[in-house]
Amino acid sequence: MKNRQSSGLGRRSVLAAGLAAGGGLGLPLFFPGLAEAASYPPLGNFPAGVAGDSAFIGITPPLTGAYSADGKDHALGYQLAIAQINAGGAIPAAWGLKGKGVLGKTLRYKIADSELKPNVAVQAQTQFIEQDHAIMITGCVSSATAIALEELAQRMKVLNMVGCSGSNDTTSKDCQRYGFRSQPSAHMAATALGPVVAKALGSNRKVAYLVPDYTYGFSVFDSFSNATKKYGWTTTSKQVVPVGAADYSSALINIANSGADIFCNIAFGNDAVASCKQADQFGVLKKMKLVVPNISAFQAQELGAKIMSGVYGTFDFWWTLEDRYPLAKTFVETFDAANKYRPSWGAHIAYMQTYVWAVAVERAGTFYPVEVIKTLEASKADPFDSTLGKVWYRAEDHQMVRPVPVVQGKMPADMKTKDDYFNILEMVPGEQVINPLTDLMGCKLGTYT
Amino acid sequence: MIPKHGDRSAAFLPEAALIAALVAGFFVLPFIGGSADLFGRILIWGLFGLGFDLLFGYTGLLSFGQAAFYGTGGYVSAWLLTTHAIGSVWLALAFGTLAAGVWGVLIGWLALRRVGIYFAMITLAFGQISFFLENSPLAAWTGGENGLPGVPVPRIGFGAGSFAITSGWRMDTLVAAFFLVGFALARRIVHSPFGAVLRAIKDNADRTAALGHAVGRYKLAVFVIAALYAGLAGGLLGVFQSYMPPEAFSLDTSGQLVAQTVIGGVGTLVGPLLGGAVWLYLEQNLQRIPGVGGLWKFLLGLIFVLLITLFRRGIAGSLRAFWRRTRIGRPDSLAGRGPATLESTLPSLPPHPPLPSLPLAAPAVRSAGAPALEARGLSKNFGGIRAVQNVSLTVERGTVQAVIGPNGAGKTTLFKMLHGEVTPSAGDVLFFGQRITGLGVTGACQAGIGKSYQVNQLFSTLTVRENVRVAALARSLGAFRPALFGAATAIPKVERQVEAVLATVGLEGRADLLPGTLAYGEKRRLEIGLSLAAGPHVLLLDEPLAGMSPEERVATKRLIARLGEQSTLVIVEHDMDAVFELAQRISVLANGVLLAQGTPADIQNDPAVQEAYLGGLHAHEPVGG
Amino acid sequence: MPGLPLLLAQAFNGLALGSLLALSASGLTITLGTLGVLNFAHGALFMLGAYAVFVVLGHTDSLLLAVVLGGGFMILVGLVFERVVIRLYYDRPAEDQILVTFGLGILIVEGVRFIFGGLSQRVPLPSWGQGIVSLGFMIYPKYRLEVIGIVAIALFALYVVLYRTRIGLVVRAGIEDTMMVNMLGINVRRTFMLVFAMGVLAAGFAGMVYAPLVSVDPDMGGPFLAESFVVVVIGGLGSFPGAVAGGLIAGEIISLTSAFNPDYSYVMLYAVMALLLVVQPRGLFGPEGRA
Repeated sequence: MKNRQSSGLGRRSVLAAGLAAGGGLGLPLFFPGLAEAASYPPLGNFPAGVAGDSAFIGITPPLTGAYSADGKDHALGYQLAIAQINAGGAIPAAWGLKGKGVLGKTLRYKIADSELKPNVAVQAQTQFIEQDHAIMITGCVSSATAIALEELAQRMKVLNMVGCSGSNDTTSKDCQRYGFRSQPSAHMAATALGPVVAKALGSNRKVAYLVPDYTYGFSVFDSFSNATKKYGWTTTSKQVVPVGAADYSSALINIANSGADIFCNIAFGNDAVASCKQADQFGVLKKMKLVVPNISAFQAQELGAKIMSGVYGTFDFWWTLEDRYPLAKTFVETFDAANKYRPSWGAHIAYMQTYVWAVAVERAGTFYPVEVIKTLEASKADPFDSTLGKVWYRAEDHQMVRPVPVVQGKMPADMKTKDDYFNILEMVPGEQVINPLTDLMGCKLGTYT
Repeated sequence: MIPKHGDRSAAFLPEAALIAALVAGFFVLPFIGGSADLFGRILIWGLFGLGFDLLFGYTGLLSFGQAAFYGTGGYVSAWLLTTHAIGSVWLALAFGTLAAGVWGVLIGWLALRRVGIYFAMITLAFGQISFFLENSPLAAWTGGENGLPGVPVPRIGFGAGSFAITSGWRMDTLVAAFFLVGFALARRIVHSPFGAVLRAIKDNADRTAALGHAVGRYKLAVFVIAALYAGLAGGLLGVFQSYMPPEAFSLDTSGQLVAQTVIGGVGTLVGPLLGGAVWLYLEQNLQRIPGVGGLWKFLLGLIFVLLITLFRRGIAGSLRAFWRRTRIGRPDSLAGRGPATLESTLPSLPPHPPLPSLPLAAPAVRSAGAPALEARGLSKNFGGIRAVQNVSLTVERGTVQAVIGPNGAGKTTLFKMLHGEVTPSAGDVLFFGQRITGLGVTGACQAGIGKSYQVNQLFSTLTVRENVRVAALARSLGAFRPALFGAATAIPKVERQVEAVLATVGLEGRADLLPGTLAYGEKRRLEIGLSLAAGPHVLLLDEPLAGMSPEERVATKRLIARLGEQSTLVIVEHDMDAVFELAQRISVLANGVLLAQGTPADIQNDPAVQEAYLGGLHAHEPVGG
Repeated sequence: MPGLPLLLAQAFNGLALGSLLALSASGLTITLGTLGVLNFAHGALFMLGAYAVFVVLGHTDSLLLAVVLGGGFMILVGLVFERVVIRLYYDRPAEDQILVTFGLGILIVEGVRFIFGGLSQRVPLPSWGQGIVSLGFMIYPKYRLEVIGIVAIALFALYVVLYRTRIGLVVRAGIEDTMMVNMLGINVRRTFMLVFAMGVLAAGFAGMVYAPLVSVDPDMGGPFLAESFVVVVIGGLGSFPGAVAGGLIAGEIISLTSAFNPDYSYVMLYAVMALLLVVQPRGLFGPEGRA
């Protein structure tokens, strides 16, 4: 009995394998579209979303609200990358893509304003997934939105290349199998910035913090105060303010009276501009040195070189990096030509991650989410060429390992052109500043299916 | 005859129509730019709006803070589920709804201390408090700006055999089911005695209180009901999208609910659903039209303003008004009949026909020997003005007493004190020996004193029959009873009371008309009928004959005379002929002081009274003339 | 426990915030008291004033000129609104008035967003407002100090109009008894138009003065609306002294609480309002018997 069964199984499985091999080889010759469909089971919007000759990407930046400047920049980055990929030619080829589009399919997309509200983004992306059969969702300038969309992606089994998000939680407490993040985490930015400012500004400093009241704000505060602890930096004041607050006078008065000599401003977007402006009015900037762990896209333009000169901080990307990486140069030039200004880092994240995703899909040979995820997770062995040199994603928490630019604001006299606001002091390698594998900060990636 | 709501076939007609509409909508929506997701969201807003419509549409309380309850329900459910404190989604929803109700009791108790504009402002402020609480102090539980992701989907069945209700048509069906149940419940509430009182409160809250309903408690009850609906909707939102957003608490959410309800039609129950459909559909589709893009909210705002200004009733409301006009257009109650007067409806009755007895009356009084109503040393000061000074009078049971005096004598103030509308600065009011000073109008009415007003205080949006029913219900229900189920028209004693009162005041032929279409005299009679329907032992009539034509005057005098045979009456009047004809005792007030008291004959001959009215007439007469 | 210098500093800052709230609430309470209209577009009008100044300062350097022109613009807006929309609503229930002004508020905010975009704009400090002043116990931005002065003048001007002119008398009488004023043959319609314009001007003026302090964006009016309501509830409906007192008190509550914990500063404001509702529902100076 047992023998018969096992031999029966054996014969059957050999036959099946033979048929599959033959079918797998033969059928695609006659029915090219079947190649994918035959190999992988349906999952999320696969294969329905890519059955035709296009693939859809859902994008939800905030075009209104406190971070709308970064949001607009972010959206333009997506548009540029997708246009270039669809056109084919030398530019996508330099990234490693073949032909036009991704795997021969044109990329279609729609942009919906998230209004900086996670709920609106979730709603819009759900529509994109259900109605437009999006094969990838992306776009945000807020960790709150990022986390909500990662959750959605995991539930609907559609890949989410996280837009702008600096909170640690995005790849720790709230990490998801279907989410990948390229921006340096708060931990990475703080660990990169800490030694630089300690060297420049001295040890045993007293710091007053202005912290926006949400996950990103707390992340940056925790990471930065931890990173500078070993240099003897202490926290004399921690002022928590709501996102979108207009009047910082109360918080700034507390800070002005705190006896600190460093003012660490973690507010972002419009809030960064407003709070720095008011800090200047309250004389805080005269008494203390300003440190901005994560500088917003247009902060320098809006505040002016006078306030930003000498300020230490980090960015995801600054346009003068074009001198170091050829892909960055192409990015900055083509963006400037299309939009009449040099891109900020919101646009960069959009551009770079879209390309990396496209390359990953072509490497996997399929849009099937599990394969693409596995390809991204295996990128350590085969890093991607990018606007920041070689980058790869960590399999354990899906954080991109990439260099962190530490910058300092230039004096007005030293600016060579009108947007030459920053000096890049260092490009700190990602491996040096990422949290070690022994401390994934609570990340438990979900399932593949 | 209006079809009774007990009619089986018609009882579930609206629900059936709604189911049909929802099914049709679900299938049509994807073809016109919608989706399953949009459908579900519209239904959640519709459920949220059911409670709000009960609050605003039916009771007239405009709240700009409903998001407080939406968010509370949503966050409590989401928190219980994401921390695995509770496994069952159904149970978590129940807890969330309950939590919203509790918060509703607290906020309602504070906010309802004011009315109208004040109330709107305060609810807005409390909505903001809830938002701040969620965002900052309680952020550890609520996730602050992040919200709570990871809310699980509900399951039907137990253990291995259960199946999950995933997004798509399954989740939509679940939400639709909740909405339908909510709708059926809301409709029952609207047609219940509780609902009848709510509508009266919206129309004329003061009169409702004067008729014996504890208006404050009814308002709080409907406020809590609205909070419960909001809490359930919030909980469903979290389950629907597996994520509980902080915007659930925002002012925008409260405002959107108001706007949607107005667009769809206030006071229709389906208004919020329709308005939500319009708003969400336009929001989604306008954004995609190039050029329009960011203007979608402006356009919605414009639609909103135009709708309030031009089509006050919103979409559903306008449809309903149109439907009603075509149905009730047949004026069978008016055709061929002249104005109904007491004379024409009771042509063959003897001069003093007995009144139909009222099935419902105020509770029996203990000390039947005491005077029906007694004022002891009543005074009232308004700032420096002493409107009433130390007035004492007694009204014996079964008598008709009149209070007269020149203008500004303090008669109205005295009446208000007797009825409980105004608290005396000094003195007491006794009702059959029982002290009722300071009980307020509602308490006084429940005790057994009714008042008919000088300026008609009718319910202009209710029919004559419904007007009287409100008053009768106060006697049947007591000051407050949450009689949420059962039709308002289905309490036999109440209906008999209504018929009896209508017969008494001669308005049976007008029963299904709105007061606005009545002649002035008929309105006055309805006014009297209202105060009568609560079955009082003592009836105060404030200038019942004011503004009447001679014909109407005669009829109403007869009515008063007949009423006087059955109850104790106190009348304020300027028509001296009527006073001397009807009253057995007369009290004269001048400058807040009781000038004289006695039989009509006594008063007619009292020189002080003549002086007060005619002011020095005799002083100018030649001496000895 | 924060030290005395900090508390003093916050208390002083509370004056600046409070005076702005007082001005804004005055406009609201006058409109509310006289016309019975609760202007839900109040926050949007505050924002409109700020944008008016922003626009004018794009062409000229003088904040003074910007305020004058902006003020004229706000008066015009007020007159137009009253004539075209609000007038239709005097005989309608209070709720309808709330709804229509709420809708107008949306229109204003979205219209501004469409024209100017959602990005925040910078309004520069006037040349006479730059720099800081040393007050002994703290240093304070010069302009904020000047704001206290400017608002005080504006409130005084409002006081003079209300209590020393004929129009003011009509307005105050109208707050007490509109029907009576009408019966006395005074052209109430015209007065209403002016009153509404006054209220709009007050809101817009607060916005204009406030603009150089913060970044200007279409949504800046929202929180201000809620706070103004709270001030009116605290001060009492229709009471000008109530609005002033309420505004200053509110400003102090917010500032002093933030000395301890900025997170709770606004919650504390609302908590005080709730307490007041329980203890003294008519507010500090409100009319009696408005249950």
